[in-house]
Amino acid sequence: MPPNGSNSAAAVWAVLRKECRSEWRTRYGLNAALLFAVSTLTSVSFAVGRLPDRSDLLAALLWVVLLFAALASLAHAFVREVEGHTLTLLRLVASPTAIALGKLLFNLLFLAVLEAVTVPLFLVLMGGPPVHWGPFLLILGLGSLALAATTTLVGAVVSQTRGRGALFAAVSLPLLMVVLAASVSGLRAQWDGNPVATEARLLAAYAAVVLGASVLLYDHLWED
Amino acid sequence: MNLAPVAVEAIGVEARGLEHLYAGRRGLAALSFALQAPGVVAITGSNGSGKSTLLRLLAGLLRPTAGLSLVTLAGREVPPAERRTVLGFASPELAFYEELSCLENLTFAAEARGLRDRMAPALAALERVGLGARARDRVAALSSGMTQRLRLAFALLLRPPLLLLDEPGSHLDEEGRLLVERVVDEEARTGLVVIATNESREWRLAAQRIELRGRGLGRTA
Repeated sequence: MPPNGSNSAAAVWAVLRKECRSEWRTRYGLNAALLFAVSTLTSVSFAVGRLPDRSDLLAALLWVVLLFAALASLAHAFVREVEGHTLTLLRLVASPTAIALGKLLFNLLFLAVLEAVTVPLFLVLMGGPPVHWGPFLLILGLGSLALAATTTLVGAVVSQTRGRGALFAAVSLPLLMVVLAASVSGLRAQWDGNPVATEARLLAAYAAVVLGASVLLYDHLWED
Repeated sequence: MNLAPVAVEAIGVEARGLEHLYAGRRGLAALSFALQAPGVVAITGSNGSGKSTLLRLLAGLLRPTAGLSLVTLAGREVPPAERRTVLGFASPELAFYEELSCLENLTFAAEARGLRDRMAPALAALERVGLGARARDRVAALSSGMTQRLRLAFALLLRPPLLLLDEPGSHLDEEGRLLVERVVDEEARTGLVVIATNESREWRLAAQRIELRGRGLGRTA
């Protein structure tokens, strides 16, 4: 074999670097996501003020803002490749699994950047009970992992279908309900001072199942 | 420039009853052949006869509806999922990231293929197709002829033993067409070059020609 054999870890890293560079050049998703998050939080803050004793509303509001701010970009991770006709290039340099894992890592990084801006702003504008940072970050991290894994998988599967927009919504809705329910419940529990172990286990197991299914499925994608 | 090939093992390509349908529409009528490096082989045929489909099948980008394609290197079969590691592919449908430069597109490809030194082969490939001066220009700023040269550079990036070129001279000026002839001649000395074309100037580069006699224009057979 020639010395150009695909190295999976190198390919994952290359795809991640390429995604970061493309996002930095185009600001395709991050600007829109930050605009949505900041404008939504500001609007809600003006309308209802601070909610110091409503952990239920706070938990739901934070995840709704994060989900809707991130969803457009997460859903388009593969659609951009299809519509830009660059999927052939990608497939010629890396395996489907390496491509998908690179995009999953980028989606996680994207969520981390979004949360780094949104969460402090949310806490300042909306108030709320004292945050228990350990459980808070655990639920935020596991919820983000499950969200990124699910949207990456669904995005990859529907990317080459004709009605991919509608299909993405239809397929991801039931899958994301589980993530949202556990994430909201977990955040509410930490604000109420209750343990979050059940929600954390559920999110971790869910993310593991989706990642496992992804690794099994990705190599069979895109073979017309 | 050092044009010594990366791989000297003989590469072979074989089709056995290879056939492809797109949602019931015939993309390629059943076909069998066997090719061995070194040399140039031209695939000709009318529009819709399946030239591009055949190259995608050989590249492992499509799964055949019936039959099979084989790529062997030094007598060992290269599975479809691994074929990207032994071939260079250029076709009109191959697009690049417009927000990245020519060099960034190629270094990304080299990095994804696991090369530690990704800059040198990328620069060498761009120089070879005459794009050295435009290496740091974004792809969005390239003309269609320059984009075609970039496709050739991508195919040549890792000096693969098998080159699959779909209409390699499209959009190219006279200098570009001479470049294609020169590249094909150089690569065919040790490797196998398969060209899908209806340009007589291109298929005359080949010692062998496979003419697809499908019904053309994608009609159902």
